Amino acid sequence: MSVRFEDLSVGDELPPLARTLTRDDLVRYAEASGDRNPLHLDDAAARAAGFPGVIAHGMLTMGHLATCLTRWLGGPEALERLTAPFRAPVFPGETLVAGGRVRALDASTRRVELEVWVTVEREGRVEQAIRRGAAVVRLP
Amino acid sequence: MNEGLGGKRYPEVRVEVDPARVRAFAHAVGEREGFVPPTFATVPELAGLAQVIADPELALDFSRVVHIEQSYEWRRPLRVGDVLRCRPRIEAVRTRGDTGFLTIVSEIVNAEGEVVVVGRCTLAERGR
Repeated sequence: MSVRFEDLSVGDELPPLARTLTRDDLVRYAEASGDRNPLHLDDAAARAAGFPGVIAHGMLTMGHLATCLTRWLGGPEALERLTAPFRAPVFPGETLVAGGRVRALDASTRRVELEVWVTVEREGRVEQAIRRGAAVVRLP
Repeated sequence: MNEGLGGKRYPEVRVEVDPARVRAFAHAVGEREGFVPPTFATVPELAGLAQVIADPELALDFSRVVHIEQSYEWRRPLRVGDVLRCRPRIEAVRTRGDTGFLTIVSEIVNAEGEVVVVGRCTLAERGR
C-alpha cells in the first residue's frame, strides 16, 4: 500500500499510528540507538533532572513518527526531510499517536509538504510530544 | 557552555550499517524489516556527537541536557553494509536567560564520499 501524488489534496490526513510504550521499549531503543542517557533508563537520574520518572527518548518518538510516514508511503525512499520539535516528555505506559496533514503539493517536483505531530493523552488532556513538525516527501 | 565554539568541526567517526543493529533498531521503532529505518541515521550521528558532548572546551553539563529538536535531510536511502562516516560541526551555541542552546549539524557520508543524510540536533542545557 502506498500513496499516489494524484490522489492527494491539501488538508488530507495520514492514517494515524498508535503505539503504547513500555519501559522495555525504552531499554530496547537505548541499546539499538546507542543513546544510554540514564534519563531514559534510571528513575533516580530522571528525578534528579526534574521528571517524575524515566522519559522516552525524543528520538524514539521521532522514530515512531517516521514509521507512521513509511507505512503511509510504503517504504523509506520518498522521505526527504523530517523535523521534530520535542515539546512534551513521554512516560512509559503512555500511548503515542503519530499523524500528519498535507500542507502543500508541488506537481512540478511531485513534492508533498506535511505538518506532522505526535500526541499523548495524559489526565484527559492531549499533550503534543512533537508539535508542528514538518516533513517533505517526493513521490515517484 | 562556551559560546565561542560556533563553527568548530570534529574528527569524522566511522560506523558500519550492521544488519543485526538494523533489525534491533527496526524492532525498537516499530518498523517492519526489509529496509533501514530512516531514523537509523541517529546511530552514526550519535557516534559523532559523543565527541562534542565530551569536549572540555565546550563545557556542556550533560546531566542538564534535553533534546529539543531534531531534523534529518535524506539524500539517499541508508543501506545495510554502508560504511558511513559522520562529520559533526557545531552550528551555534547561544544562551537565552538561564538556558543554553547547542545546535550540531552532522554530515553523514558513504564510502564514495556522497552525502547520505544530514542531521541537525538541538540540545538545551537547562539552568541550575
